[in-house]
Amino acid sequence: MRSAWRWLLVITLSASGSQANANDWNMPVGVTDVSADIFGLHMTIFWICVVIGLVVFGAMFYSLFRYRHSKGAKAANFHEHTSVEVLWTAIPVLILVGMAVPATATLKNMYDSSDAELDVMITGQQWRWRYEYLGEDVAFTSNMSTPRTQVSGAETRGEHYLLEVDEPLVLPINRKVRFLMTSDDVIHSWWVPDLAVKQDTIPGFINENWVTINEPGIYRGQCTELCGINHGFMPVVVHAMEEDEFDGWLAERKEAAAEEAMGVDREWAMEELVARGQEIYQSICSSCHQAEGQGSPPAFPALANNEQLISDVDWHLNKVINGVSGAAMPAFRSTLNPVEIAAVVTYTRNAWGNDTGDVVQPSEVAELIAQ
Amino acid sequence: MWSVVKSVLAALLGVQSNQKRQEDFSSGKPAAYIVTGIVITLLFVLMLIVLATFAAR
Repeated sequence: MRSAWRWLLVITLSASGSQANANDWNMPVGVTDVSADIFGLHMTIFWICVVIGLVVFGAMFYSLFRYRHSKGAKAANFHEHTSVEVLWTAIPVLILVGMAVPATATLKNMYDSSDAELDVMITGQQWRWRYEYLGEDVAFTSNMSTPRTQVSGAETRGEHYLLEVDEPLVLPINRKVRFLMTSDDVIHSWWVPDLAVKQDTIPGFINENWVTINEPGIYRGQCTELCGINHGFMPVVVHAMEEDEFDGWLAERKEAAAEEAMGVDREWAMEELVARGQEIYQSICSSCHQAEGQGSPPAFPALANNEQLISDVDWHLNKVINGVSGAAMPAFRSTLNPVEIAAVVTYTRNAWGNDTGDVVQPSEVAELIAQ
Repeated sequence: MWSVVKSVLAALLGVQSNQKRQEDFSSGKPAAYIVTGIVITLLFVLMLIVLATFAAR
């Protein structure tokens, strides 16, 4: 008896403890109407399952107890009972139809990406996301910003370990945003639980999805389709802003992009290119070629003291612009602009003992890309 | 004819009384059941298509 009370206490305590963390155990309600619908469906179907479970197991345990052998129960031995059979076929059909109707209505709404006010192209790449605001001339890549030292354990993990990026996808609230999703290499999947968007990005296909975010905030997610060695290191971060704030941000980015485009034609100093190149190298190249250019052969060759790279600028530029077919090295001709390519090549040719003294001008890169 | 349709519908639902089953197996040709089965299945699929088209509007 005493032990029974102890068990009851344990169960009560754990139940009250779980109440505070109920949201940790459940899927998020999210910040869009669709995500709220999905959560509602999830809970409705959950409670239907609970009721079915209680009825079925209740009837089963009651029968087991009430008609137990020790009380002299005799098994009924009948065959076929058409009305009962019809009943237990009809009830599940009704339950399934009852669940299918609201589920289909929600799905239909989820697939209706018409009348969007903003189009964003989302491209998965090993191992980063690229966002392009269609018709706005604004595009950038979003790379994980968690330092490698935290991954290796040399440093303590930050609050948003593996869920932080250098540049989040910025979206306005209260506007319908359509996503056009594809991939440059393998299948990735763009997933943000709070937005109820989980969509595969497939090379050669364009999938559509959409959101209308109701609340400003920062929403985090991950790539959710195993896409290679750094699959766990390409998080998604969405920064949802008030509409005015978003318009300001977009105008600013447009201006910066226009300025950068102008920068292609001017002569750049080596220091400028190296400084810029170092940033780009750390955010884009270092995940494979490592922070000190040592690479991790044989998959990712070293760049430091790489004879071929040091002796041949054209070869080096060609690899960065066009990639290496059959290997992990992607073509950066459309991902990075000429200034960025010139900067990162200049940096690599002058870092870690690669003291070539070479300066690659953005204008040269632009010419190579145009060819 | 009507009894064949009823038997096929019962088969679709998966419920049939033993007495009826005995009758079906002792009288009637298999071809009638097979053809009726195919026709009713097609009708069922058609009904689903109409329903889906209606719901998608």
